[in-house]
Amino acid sequence: MDLLTPDLGTYIWSLFIFMTVLFVLKRFAWNPLLDFLEEREEDIANSLKMAESAKSDLEQIKDESQKILDQAKKEGKVIVIDSKQKAEDAANNILEKAKVKSDEFIIDAKSKIEIEKQRAIKEIKEEVVDLSIDLASKILQRNVKDDDNEKFIKSSLEAMNVDEAKS
Amino acid sequence: MIVGEKISEKWSMDKASDYAIDHVADSKNNIFELESLSNRFTEIFGISVDFGISKHVFLLFFVSLIMVSTIVALVQSYISHKKNIPNKFMSMIEMMVVYLREDVLKNSIGDKEHRDWAPLIYTIFFFVLFSNILGLIPIFDLSGLIGSLGYKFEFFEKYNILYILSKGGNTVTANVNVTFALATISLIAFIGAGIKKYGFIQHWKNLAPSGLPWPLYFVVVPIEFMGLFIRPLALTLRLAGNMMGGHIALVIFITFIFSANAELGAIAGFAMAPFSVALALGLTMLELLVAVIQAYVFALLTAVFIGMAIHVDH
Repeated sequence: MDLLTPDLGTYIWSLFIFMTVLFVLKRFAWNPLLDFLEEREEDIANSLKMAESAKSDLEQIKDESQKILDQAKKEGKVIVIDSKQKAEDAANNILEKAKVKSDEFIIDAKSKIEIEKQRAIKEIKEEVVDLSIDLASKILQRNVKDDDNEKFIKSSLEAMNVDEAKS
Repeated sequence: MIVGEKISEKWSMDKASDYAIDHVADSKNNIFELESLSNRFTEIFGISVDFGISKHVFLLFFVSLIMVSTIVALVQSYISHKKNIPNKFMSMIEMMVVYLREDVLKNSIGDKEHRDWAPLIYTIFFFVLFSNILGLIPIFDLSGLIGSLGYKFEFFEKYNILYILSKGGNTVTANVNVTFALATISLIAFIGAGIKKYGFIQHWKNLAPSGLPWPLYFVVVPIEFMGLFIRPLALTLRLAGNMMGGHIALVIFITFIFSANAELGAIAGFAMAPFSVALALGLTMLELLVAVIQAYVFALLTAVFIGMAIHVDH
């Protein structure tokens, strides 16, 4: 009953019970729990690492996209300037061509007018000759011979030409 | 002795110390004394060993059962649902496990070797902790009270189960035999750790630091050798003494009521009760702290001794 009495029975019971508890807990509690905790810590470390790398990836992607955007802006400017130039060139070209064509038209039209004019003059002249012959024959009350006619027409025509040249 | 008996017996002041010591001490031949009284003695190497289930042995079984079932159930249910958050008790256990690993095991034993010794240190810590805390709960005193009152009012027979259980009822860690068994485990562990690392002969050579002038070895080796056995002895007495002292003081505070009642009358007894209970309450709070601290100290020192055996250079 004394407090500090050594008692081999209790001692051996204690050893036995403690060893049993140690065995059971090691098998079913501590090792599984420690494995679980280590696994979880590894998971956390890994996900932190992944988050870190994702962050740096994001940073890189941001930089790259900024670069691409800058280049696109630059290229866009170049394209705009280029296309303006091209459009201007094209417009100038078209204008040039149109001018040439219109000049050609004008020249053509002038020559056509000239030809028509000549023809009209000729027709008028012939008409005038006929009229004059009619008039002359009426005046003379006779038919002027063809030879005479011819001579007369020619001389009067020459006179007309001289007049025309004068005018 | 039982609380119920105390109430019915004639109480005198000089009985208080006997009662307190009786409460804390182990007692043979009462738990299950009705069975197998004759064959519980076994001869081991010519020494007669009493394997009777004394109240402390009974309490050891009780504590172990509660501890193992609680921890295994909590841990198993925690790790089988990986996504689940641990419940309150499990997070407490996890906190202690992680704290011991980071601050005790890794610091004392080392990053590489700590995993081998972790289960032992955890088991020591939780074994001592559960024993200390369950010892603070007067489960068996209560059952004894109910049992003896039941007998007094003729509800039960004299040797009813509650009466028998009342012979259990304090801290197993107040028994030097139990704490010495734990310290033996610790001793085996730190000798085993050294032998595992350095081999049998080199481990014993490590006992004395090398490079001393040779005459000094005659002094150093015996001192170191004694130190080896003083360490578990210190572990034994520190834990047992702490738990025993607290419990004796606790019982003495309660007996103030009976003493006042016996010496000065019933009114004095009633007047004493609030003071007694307040003192006992305060001391119980203190004991709760001591229970945790002593469990921690036992585990920490075991880890430190293992570390010393592994890392000889310091």
